[in-house]
Amino acid sequence: MSRRLAHLSDEALVALVARADEDALAELYDRFGRVAYGLALRVVRDPALAEDAVQEGFLAVWRSAARFVAERARASTWILTLIHRRAVDLVRREQPRRTESLEGVPPAAGDDTEEQVWLGLQRGRVQEALRKLPDKQREALELAYYGGFTQSELADRLGEPLGTIKSRMFSGLAQLRESLGESGLKEERWNATESTS
Amino acid sequence: MERHGIHELSGAYALHALDPEEERTFEEHLAHCDECRGHVAGFQEVGALLAHDVEAPPPPPALRQRILDGARAERPNVVPLRERRRWVVPVAAAAAVAASFAAVGLGIWAASLSSRLDDERAALDGSEQAVSVLAREDADRIPLSGANGTLVVDSSGSAWLVVFGLDAAPSDKTYEAWIVHDEGTTPAGLFRGGGSHTVVKLVRKVPPGSSVAVTLERAGGVEQPRNDPVFATARSA
Repeated sequence: MSRRLAHLSDEALVALVARADEDALAELYDRFGRVAYGLALRVVRDPALAEDAVQEGFLAVWRSAARFVAERARASTWILTLIHRRAVDLVRREQPRRTESLEGVPPAAGDDTEEQVWLGLQRGRVQEALRKLPDKQREALELAYYGGFTQSELADRLGEPLGTIKSRMFSGLAQLRESLGESGLKEERWNATESTS
Repeated sequence: MERHGIHELSGAYALHALDPEEERTFEEHLAHCDECRGHVAGFQEVGALLAHDVEAPPPPPALRQRILDGARAERPNVVPLRERRRWVVPVAAAAAVAASFAAVGLGIWAASLSSRLDDERAALDGSEQAVSVLAREDADRIPLSGANGTLVVDSSGSAWLVVFGLDAAPSDKTYEAWIVHDEGTTPAGLFRGGGSHTVVKLVRKVPPGSSVAVTLERAGGVEQPRNDPVFATARSA
């Protein structure tokens, strides 16, 4: 389904969603549902909770699409940010956070679809960029993003002053942004620059 | 140092890692700090890429339908585009269009060839453009009658037509936009249509109380409309 929408950009789909086009929402789900679910599962570590996070995230897309400003962000970033926030909120509310390995999610089915290949490629880029970070920056970012820890929880957990955690997160992200900018963020759109509003 | 401190929070904010109280404080700061907004936007892009460093099974197939059902259940207060595809000119617009076209028939017309837009540049076709136009802040978005789309008018009167699925004009024809107001009807640009989206910035402003109509005319455009509007809409006074 949604074949009439397959050629539209993510941003155009969000514009249609803002006008209550259900097919456009379905198309966005088809594009990002898998990444969204993977992310949610990594954060909440529970399949049922992960589904809740994805559902709430996409409903937030449905409700707030009219407020999305294409000049300010990519639609994919906006959607995954909403999913991530839902997942983190859920894990904070529902589940005592696990402190052990962050690699405990079930493995992917071994399909070799084009989507999987693309996801694998993205994954490789991100992992390489993460590897280039100093260990402590990487640790802080991973625990915050995938673990759902707040910076003050991190300070407690890692036994570091809060100020140290803050600057670690900032400089870690700045460095990631730079190295992903070399390999991953190159396809800037014409309107991805400054907001004009 | 204090200032430096709050700027630094853009990292944790982008990862949703501030405590609730701090998050509220930072959002207030964000509202008037361009630098932090820039950082947050960039860091959120990084976050979205981190989302890809996950190996997980696909979501259960039923989730898709559940989301769509949930969306339908809380249908927002807007009318879906597809239900608007009727050829009904709003009453005011219809009256204005009719009056103006009658005036044209009497030969009252201010020709303005210089305002004619170059076809190629006038008809931007692209979804990003459509979205960025549709998403403009401080703009009125007025649905079209007779086509699937919107007239976007900002506070200065600058206006864009965003039309979805408009058939391309035949090779010997062009679409021509008109601004219809009390003083008459003024050409406002030529475009070709076709593709999934057509975005046209009108070469003239659309004052309150005027209408915008689009006709199909011979290639190169005409100084006065010779055909009935294909679609139209009105900006309230």
